[in-house]
Amino acid sequence: MNILLIDNNDSFTNNLEHLLAREIAEAAIDVRPYAYVLGNGGDFDFRKYSLIIISPGPGCPADYPGYERVILSGLPVLGICLGMQILNEYYGGQTARLDGCFHGRTERIGFAGNDLAVARYHSLYCVQLGDGLQLLSVNSTQVPMAVAHESLPVLGYQFHPESFLTEQPGVFIEFALNHFGLL
Amino acid sequence: MNLPLIISDSCSFEHFREIGYHFVCEHEADVLLGSSKTPNSGLSYLGVEPQNELIIHPGASGAEVKAKMKEFCFADDEPVIGYLSYELGHELRGVESSKQFEFPLLHLKKYCAVLIHDGGDSSLKLVCDKTYRSVIDESILQAEVIPSVELPLFAAEKIRMSLDKQGYEDGVAGTLEYIRDGLTYQLNLTTRLTMDGGNVDPLLWFFALHNRYPAAYYALFRSGGKVIVSTSPELFLRVEQGRVLSEPIKGTLHFEEYSEELVRSLQSSVKEDSELSMIVDLIRNDISADCRYGSVAVEDHKSVFAVDNLLQMFSRVRGELAAGRDCIDLLLNAFPGGSITGCPKKSSMELIDKLEPHVRGPYCGSIVLINGPQDMVSSIAIRTAVYDQETQSIDYWAGSGIVIDSDPEAEYRETIAKAGKILTPESV
Repeated sequence: MNILLIDNNDSFTNNLEHLLAREIAEAAIDVRPYAYVLGNGGDFDFRKYSLIIISPGPGCPADYPGYERVILSGLPVLGICLGMQILNEYYGGQTARLDGCFHGRTERIGFAGNDLAVARYHSLYCVQLGDGLQLLSVNSTQVPMAVAHESLPVLGYQFHPESFLTEQPGVFIEFALNHFGLL
Repeated sequence: MNLPLIISDSCSFEHFREIGYHFVCEHEADVLLGSSKTPNSGLSYLGVEPQNELIIHPGASGAEVKAKMKEFCFADDEPVIGYLSYELGHELRGVESSKQFEFPLLHLKKYCAVLIHDGGDSSLKLVCDKTYRSVIDESILQAEVIPSVELPLFAAEKIRMSLDKQGYEDGVAGTLEYIRDGLTYQLNLTTRLTMDGGNVDPLLWFFALHNRYPAAYYALFRSGGKVIVSTSPELFLRVEQGRVLSEPIKGTLHFEEYSEELVRSLQSSVKEDSELSMIVDLIRNDISADCRYGSVAVEDHKSVFAVDNLLQMFSRVRGELAAGRDCIDLLLNAFPGGSITGCPKKSSMELIDKLEPHVRGPYCGSIVLINGPQDMVSSIAIRTAVYDQETQSIDYWAGSGIVIDSDPEAEYRETIAKAGKILTPESV
């Protein structure tokens, strides 16, 4: 399976790459910087990929214009942390500061019938969901932890499955592959 | 290459220090001193009489640095000792800075001879040309007891700080705003202290500090009229036959009297826990660029050791070099160490460049020993001073990791506590 992992200048992207390599048999993962994929005047060819992943990263969605091309490719897209916020804003949702922030710690969340500790690294959160996005999981203070589009192959995780703090990270990768019909 | 030759099997650590001091005075030696009290830091090195060096000045690209380093280090299998400046990281990570450079990006040396002491079995080994052997043998016999000196005190009112108490606390407050904006989750903010070192003999100072405050990664390295005196307790990257180990430190607790209860209180602090966890994830990421899929693992998370009346929490991150990768690929992809930048790294480094008026130079860079493509030891050059032989001034830097729960005043206090052993050694 060819996977494109778009790196938004983040420091966890290689962790995500190693997690994908471990969890997905025969995964071929291309890690490409955001500026390379979306800063080249629109000539990046997405067609060879079965799955596109938008990495976490510093800042807010407005700092990373151009992602509509990824979403409009029609390919399955998984956004993580900032990646989920980018997807959410594309569909008209809003991002705001998270009171107190939440960095480098875990919280247990309910996810697809599991109760798992997940690592969170975020100062911002999806305060209002975009059109067509549905909540798959919220935390104890109603902060969206996972969202999916009702009809399109778009999925977002606010937490970090690639962190060493996250319990059973494979659950989240398998869920995504199932969700996109890639298993 | 001459294989290391065992020249003594009963050289005590103290005697090796004496040999070290003798060679530093007589043979321009550079020194890497381990600690007899810290496991895994039993090897110490003396580079005797530099015969070849690589200095790379600002302006070189990351690719040029890598190519020149590999050419210099891997041309033969002579050991290489040197340092990398923090500002090399700007080049490697693509961070723009308008600051005036004061230090080269890196300085590496090869030597006429390298002496290697193993604190574990008390052996002393020599790597050198046959013709040089007799010089070493004779010189070793001349080593004498290191003169005992008082550690210098630096009066607070004579220390110039690039960020004074107010400046540092304002910097912390600014950092907290950047954190709330999601530009960084953790940022290492430092200040630079400059003082008169007119009465200080930097060579004796180094050995006296090591005697009084042993730590695992002491180094003395001469570079263009400056003497780098590093008293670091932190391992950045060790590579042994391709096996990679990093030991990031985060979480500090000052103590007067050691107790298990204090250790537990450090380990149970949510703030210190998250600081360390963030850096562990960052280091995993940084070594993963050059490590085999499936090989990267975290061990001994939230271990604690004591150094200089500070409890320090650390973890071990391990991996194995991927096929076709060497220790210089790893070092340059992971540089500078995550524990002294913050996370995410590039964004944090850009903010540090705005928040700090000073350059860091060797501080927060790395002292390295490179023994071939699959073998290297590098420290994070914290607790590090630079003595300028021309101006006889001493620069020292200290800092602290800022996270969302940080209190500006408490972070300033932690920073000053870390500077304590240099500034006012009697109080430590």
